[in-house]
Amino acid sequence: MGSRQITEKSLSMLRSLPRISLQNIRDNPNSKLKNKRGRAQHGGDKHGAGNKGSGQRQNFMRLGYETGNNPFYLRIPQEHYYRGHHLRREYPPLTLHELQRIIDKDCVDTSKPIDIASLIKSGFYNFQPDLKQFGINLTDEGADIFAAKINIEVQWASEQVIAAVERNGGVITTAYYDPHSLLLLKNPKKFFESGQAIPRRMIPPSDLIEYYTSAKSRGYLADPEEISKERLKLAQKYGYTLPDIEKDSDYKMMSERKDPRQIFYGLEPGWVVNLKDECILKPKDQELLSFFNS
Amino acid sequence: MNLCLRKQYFRPNLIGSLFRFATTSTEIVENDQVFIDDEESQAREAEINQKRNISRLTPAHYNLVNGRKPYEEPKSLAHLTVKYNRKMYGKYGSASGVNPSICFPSRQDIQEKIEYEAVAYPYTIQQMMESAARQRKEEREKIEKRDRDVAAKFAKLEQWKKELNDKLAKKTAEVSAAKEKKERLVEEVRRHFGFKLDPRDERFQEMLAKREKEQKKLEKLARKEAKEKMMIAKLQQKNVELADAKK
Repeated sequence: MGSRQITEKSLSMLRSLPRISLQNIRDNPNSKLKNKRGRAQHGGDKHGAGNKGSGQRQNFMRLGYETGNNPFYLRIPQEHYYRGHHLRREYPPLTLHELQRIIDKDCVDTSKPIDIASLIKSGFYNFQPDLKQFGINLTDEGADIFAAKINIEVQWASEQVIAAVERNGGVITTAYYDPHSLLLLKNPKKFFESGQAIPRRMIPPSDLIEYYTSAKSRGYLADPEEISKERLKLAQKYGYTLPDIEKDSDYKMMSERKDPRQIFYGLEPGWVVNLKDECILKPKDQELLSFFNS
Repeated sequence: MNLCLRKQYFRPNLIGSLFRFATTSTEIVENDQVFIDDEESQAREAEINQKRNISRLTPAHYNLVNGRKPYEEPKSLAHLTVKYNRKMYGKYGSASGVNPSICFPSRQDIQEKIEYEAVAYPYTIQQMMESAARQRKEEREKIEKRDRDVAAKFAKLEQWKKELNDKLAKKTAEVSAAKEKKERLVEEVRRHFGFKLDPRDERFQEMLAKREKEQKKLEKLARKEAKEKMMIAKLQQKNVELADAKK
């Protein structure tokens, strides 16, 4: 019998077979877990628990116990410089070099103010507010080649970074967000889909108040006049001529800042954003308004 | 599903069925237009649609896949909560049939939030700024005070060093003088006996005590004389003064 005949025959057989449907196909092998623990020849033996000892009897030792050895958790000397580490705030760094790269790749829109939400959206920065990470620490690596004119809002910045941004005619602000606001900024879509009103941003804790109210660190609670003075001072210190922002063509964008209670640009606390209907619901009740504006 | 072997033969059938569906769908649309209120045709349509649905999905999952709210009526207690209804509105918009006023916090929610914030954020920004400034000032003052203290002490350091050295020198001088005196006494006692005597000997001790006594007497006398001399000098001075006064 030739191969053609075989093909013919199998084809004819196939044609006579019923059509494939849900009724005549079977599940993938091992796709269904057996609920029972087999005994003896039906998969008996030790069931993965091993032979003898605490493994088989499932009476495990307490955590960290090493059968009479000096346990590891007591053997290691105490590290006091880690004291209070669970309370410390972390600011995952973003270098100016990386920021320049993000801008060069056009992953962030420099014609609008940049904040942590837009940097997360670029996909080149990520952080976890639930691990006590409180936002971006913009670091000075690549400060010499940084050449973008931007209005950026970060959570922590050093003097060199501020100088590097302002030298190019940009504006930098350091702003505090409480962890809940940071969660919202990290994934706004998820929050909007939960159908809640946008909350207010909370005030910074007392140990950060100095940083966020000082004009030297360009804090968001600082006096704007003080900030303009400090800008000039910094320019003199680092020896560059400060570009005049007020005569800038996009002065409006450059001077845009969030309200201390505001989380998203263009959205006020108390508003409900519906992505499906593409609409914004604003409260009119006086009580709600007074709460969200307080 | 084990479809790997049948792939080749399956495809034409699938394409055929697609074409078939296409033709039927157009027919149904026409039917709809013709018998718009016919119950019988609608039922038939529903039946066909039901038969077409070969996904084996539950109605809820079928709705989800097609971008609809999963349950039309609540199926569990969770579906009666505010959170769930907000979620439904947030995800499916006004088509969810939820009144959007539910999205805003209630009066009670606001009260609770205010109460929480009063505890969690007891100080205003202004108060915190003031206390931070005060703290900073206190720290600076503490450092400055310490600096001043150290500077004042450093200024006195040379004087204190001199005083200490003088004290030490005086003490050593006194000690050496006492030692010399004692040695001299012992030597005198030895000379008195004319031979070397053990200092622990009784006679030696007696003689030493005697000598010491004499010495002390002499010293006492000397002191007395000195005192008298002083007195005389004082009296003389007084006399001179009186005489001056008389003149």
